[in-house]
Amino acid sequence: MRRLFGVLLAAVVLFAVVSSGCISPGGEEKVTVTFLSTQLNPPEERAFVQEDLLKGFTSDTNIEVNFVPISYTDMVTRLEGEMQTGKVTIDVIGDLHGGMDYMSSKGWLEDLSTMPKLEGRTFISTFEQYSYIRGQKAYVPWMSATYVMVVNKEAFQYLPEGLTEEDVMKGTDKWTYDALLQWAKNLKEAKGQPELGFPAGPKGLFVRFLHGYIYPSYTGYQAKEFDSPEAVEMWDYLKELWPYVHPSSTTWDAMADPLLKGEVLIAWDHTARIKNAIETKPDQFVVVPVPRGPKGRGFIVVLAGLAIPKGAPHKDEAWKLIDYLTKPDTQVKVLEKVGFFPTVEEASGKLPEGPLKILAEGVQAQASTEDALVVMIPNLGDKGGQFKEYYKQAFERIVLNNEDPATVTKEIKPDLIKLFEDVGVPVP
Amino acid sequence: MKRRSLVPYLLILPAFAYLLFFVGYPLVQALYLAFTQNGALSLEVWRRTFSDYYFWSAFKYTILLAGIIVPTQVALAVVLALLMNRVFKGKDAALYALIIPLTISDVAAGLIWYSMLSPYGFINKLLMNLGLISQPIYVFGYEYRMREFFAIVIAELWRSTAIVFVIILAGLQMISKEYIEAAEVFGASYWTRLRRIVLPLLKPSIQSALIIRTLFAMQIFGIVWILAGRDIPVLAGEGYYQLTEIKDAGVASVYALVIAGLSILLGALYIKFLRAEYLEVGE
Repeated sequence: MRRLFGVLLAAVVLFAVVSSGCISPGGEEKVTVTFLSTQLNPPEERAFVQEDLLKGFTSDTNIEVNFVPISYTDMVTRLEGEMQTGKVTIDVIGDLHGGMDYMSSKGWLEDLSTMPKLEGRTFISTFEQYSYIRGQKAYVPWMSATYVMVVNKEAFQYLPEGLTEEDVMKGTDKWTYDALLQWAKNLKEAKGQPELGFPAGPKGLFVRFLHGYIYPSYTGYQAKEFDSPEAVEMWDYLKELWPYVHPSSTTWDAMADPLLKGEVLIAWDHTARIKNAIETKPDQFVVVPVPRGPKGRGFIVVLAGLAIPKGAPHKDEAWKLIDYLTKPDTQVKVLEKVGFFPTVEEASGKLPEGPLKILAEGVQAQASTEDALVVMIPNLGDKGGQFKEYYKQAFERIVLNNEDPATVTKEIKPDLIKLFEDVGVPVP
Repeated sequence: MKRRSLVPYLLILPAFAYLLFFVGYPLVQALYLAFTQNGALSLEVWRRTFSDYYFWSAFKYTILLAGIIVPTQVALAVVLALLMNRVFKGKDAALYALIIPLTISDVAAGLIWYSMLSPYGFINKLLMNLGLISQPIYVFGYEYRMREFFAIVIAELWRSTAIVFVIILAGLQMISKEYIEAAEVFGASYWTRLRRIVLPLLKPSIQSALIIRTLFAMQIFGIVWILAGRDIPVLAGEGYYQLTEIKDAGVASVYALVIAGLSILLGALYIKFLRAEYLEVGE
């Protein structure tokens, strides 16, 4: 008994020593790259990164990666501290465009134009342009996401006169917000109930539709023309549209379920939040560009990039990680698992037929419409919540409580503009 | 001798340490967040909270919900407890059925009622199959806030009446049969016995049940969040929303303090006005 115990103890100690890395079996020293990311933080996505995505990198290159999911505020605080003390421990940063812009303006990021070329991939040109900030190559485009419309094919039977299925699928000039209103009216008449849905619940992303889609489509700006006559016209439009929007919209956080249950036939949402519906019933749904307004077709592109902080301890290994994460194969894998879209053109050729292709094609169609008015989410740090709150409030007061749009927008605008002034970001 | 006098203190020490750490520390933190602005003493956070678009409606709805749910619940529980306090066939089964909702969390209860009341849920399907309605009845959505409100009331009654029922039934079973028998001898009717003996003796139980339920009603959140989202704002929900979505820890702290203040005030009122009367007063 005692002997068995002794053997077990020895085995445990040996295992601990080997697995802790004190004695590595290969004999060569392993480098560990520290990778801070504000993206892919939810538990499921985190598990995919740690147990699947980065394992592939480690087995290819023998470089370990310490993946640290972190909030934007914490990351900036940590980086600032490291920059001030000169003891940089972070090798790679993964964050949204706005965050990169801020860090680059502080001079914390390495100029990546001196690094070796990444072979075998072409970055989508808009993304490539955005990644140059103030003449410096601040980051490498990593993943993108957007919000689109999903249409149940059944709805095409009720298209308004003069609008064809192709107009909607390709996003032609005829596919306007007025056409959407007429379509929604037809649907309600035919079906007896509203068939258009938005994720306007407390955790839903409807607010992105307000500031990033319909506001720029009508006024040309997200916040600058918040109380202009064009904005008032936009609010009047929304008021007119709302009776044809499913009344449960204010309790929905994501549209996949209502689409699958057949509660709505047309919905707008984030690509990641409708992915499930398309995967479950790929024959039933198509993804289409959003409609256009008088000033163009406003839509949000969420762009995440990878950067290397100045003075990073393992610059070359960091570049290898960036190389791996932007390979077309890796990008396809990310799309399949977490629904973020590739930033390199070659990846779309590697997509299998099926639901993901439906999504990717819709996104592609939206991005390549001629009147595209690309919008980035303003980078307000922890004031971002307050920013969204103002749009939600305006919506609740004007559309749901029937208050006067001109009065409400005039009332809210100074607070909204002050938010940008406080943070020191230009008003978009 | 000296060592002995230390024992009681040592005994409450763990509980005290627990309270200090899990209640005291967050409370101090909340007070700090609520009364300072950039490190200096200020009432700016309170101003921000009171001018918040949702604050007063959250306050109103919280009180309104508590005002409707708690009394209904207590009345319902008393009736049920009186019914269950006699011997009949199948009593055990009935008791289990009544207590089952006690084991379900508020979020789960919210989800159960949501799926039952949703346009394509069980109740609508039943009514449609019976031919009573041709279109589903909408319960959820901003324009149906009254319906959402009643859905919350029903779900909350269903879920949390059981706890009141258990407390009152226990109180009922503690009442000595002798009083009732004595009253019967003197010819008191059922109603007289109920009014003059049972209810006064039940007062301590009713008081505990009321305090517990009112305090929980001030924190009502999960069920509202699931059934109505922010269509019906409540204090706890707004606190959560401020912290997680708007990321304003100061305003969230004010919401928490308002809930705490309300709870303390109501608890004190109950204790003052519902002081239990005892039939036998000691020397």
